[in-house]
Amino acid sequence: MTAEGAPNAAGRPLPRNALIALAAWVVAGIVYVVARGRDSEFAMFWAFGLAFGFVLQRARFCFASAFRDIFLLGHARNMKGVLLGLAVGALGFGLLMSQQIPNTSLSIYPSTANVLPVGIHTALGGLLFGVGMVLAGGCVSGSLYRMGEGYVASWVAFLGVMGGLLASAHTWNWWWRVHIASAPRVWLPHWIGHAGAVVATLVALLLIYVALVWWEHRAGLVVSGRARSAEIPAGPSEHLRAVAGQIFVDGWPVMVAGGVLGGLNVLLFAAAEPWGFTGEISRWSIRVASVVGASPGPLAGVGALPGCVMVSAEGVFVTHMLFLVLGMFFGSFAAAVGAGEFKIRAPKRAVRYVQSLGGGVIMGYGSGIAMGCTIGAFFSAIPSLALNGWVFAIFLGLGAWIGTHAIQRIA
Amino acid sequence: MTTLDVRGEICPYPMMRTVTALKKLSVEDEGLEVLTDHAPTLETIPTQAARLGYETEIEESGASEWRLLITRKKAEVAS
Repeated sequence: MTAEGAPNAAGRPLPRNALIALAAWVVAGIVYVVARGRDSEFAMFWAFGLAFGFVLQRARFCFASAFRDIFLLGHARNMKGVLLGLAVGALGFGLLMSQQIPNTSLSIYPSTANVLPVGIHTALGGLLFGVGMVLAGGCVSGSLYRMGEGYVASWVAFLGVMGGLLASAHTWNWWWRVHIASAPRVWLPHWIGHAGAVVATLVALLLIYVALVWWEHRAGLVVSGRARSAEIPAGPSEHLRAVAGQIFVDGWPVMVAGGVLGGLNVLLFAAAEPWGFTGEISRWSIRVASVVGASPGPLAGVGALPGCVMVSAEGVFVTHMLFLVLGMFFGSFAAAVGAGEFKIRAPKRAVRYVQSLGGGVIMGYGSGIAMGCTIGAFFSAIPSLALNGWVFAIFLGLGAWIGTHAIQRIA
Repeated sequence: MTTLDVRGEICPYPMMRTVTALKKLSVEDEGLEVLTDHAPTLETIPTQAARLGYETEIEESGASEWRLLITRKKAEVAS
């Protein structure tokens, strides 16, 4: 079996792509320097955004397919990568939080970890997000990186997400008053200590991993699409060229990406706050809506909440979060061009655009009330040792299962 | 050999439509040729095809375009 991604990429002619990619990285560097001149936080978030976008694109790391393919294909490859990222995150966040809040008998929470009020809004938000991400063919981070690869449907999905977040913002005050304001924040270390919380999290992730391996074998054998070449490089320069090929041209193994994403999240948490961005995207929607007089007005309670809670459009438009999101898009774009994987891909059938838009709106609404998406309310929330992360995850799974049935009917 | 062109399709339709087409193949069909521009397909189709008794060969046919040749597994012959 020949597989795309044989280690020696020297046979592929990519000079034009390599030049454009190099130009993209030079632009990224210039943006970094200019941003640093304004605010060092802008530059740091730009760099993290680039890194996240690069890794997501190189591994085609998609949270939506991680959940969906378990049901659709009996295939848990992407979810295993997610589990590793969660485990790395839990270890890193756990260590950092144990230093931030050494005494867990006090009712105080780490100031930036994604420990959010948990309740019906978390469950419904997760359910809606799970359905929406399967309909749209990608979650928010997935859509962002695919926008960089040239997928037109992902741009449509992203617009849908913006619309859904705006709708969510318009109903936020009701959710706050009736559910969220009185919902508890459950941080596992308060209950079982730092070590206990980390160990419990890792054990749960391990049990899920074992269940997935069993599930995959129940569905049939698993074949890797990747040929492992036994070629021994002829010399150092061939060796280095092969390694460069593995990083910039061939697809990354999903476990490597999962580990790296988890590690990057830990670094970002240590430097500032966990990875997450739907709050930022809501700011864009609300800003646009304000221009046409459709602003949702003040959002109750958001000032006291961490994570990706929606934010009003007041104030300066250029913030560090803007750089994070734009960095993700640009990092993916540069990665795709370098690998020869940038291509404008437009669905031929009109129904796909409807799916992408509709799925995006549903995702946007869900991430508004759950205060985060597969990143903020899941990939950063479980490592935050917060119960809301697990509740969101369970309902993501349920939503993905429902969505999988739906897309098979739309085929 | 039937050709399935799923270029431009959003996730997960390249994979889903390939599996549906494979299941519809009759005994006389040699196999299926799939044209795709969606990289995740390359990671999932080999497993799905193998479970249905097919082998997959992947060929890069253009910039970010691949041709998957899915044929029935030949019976192993002892040498």
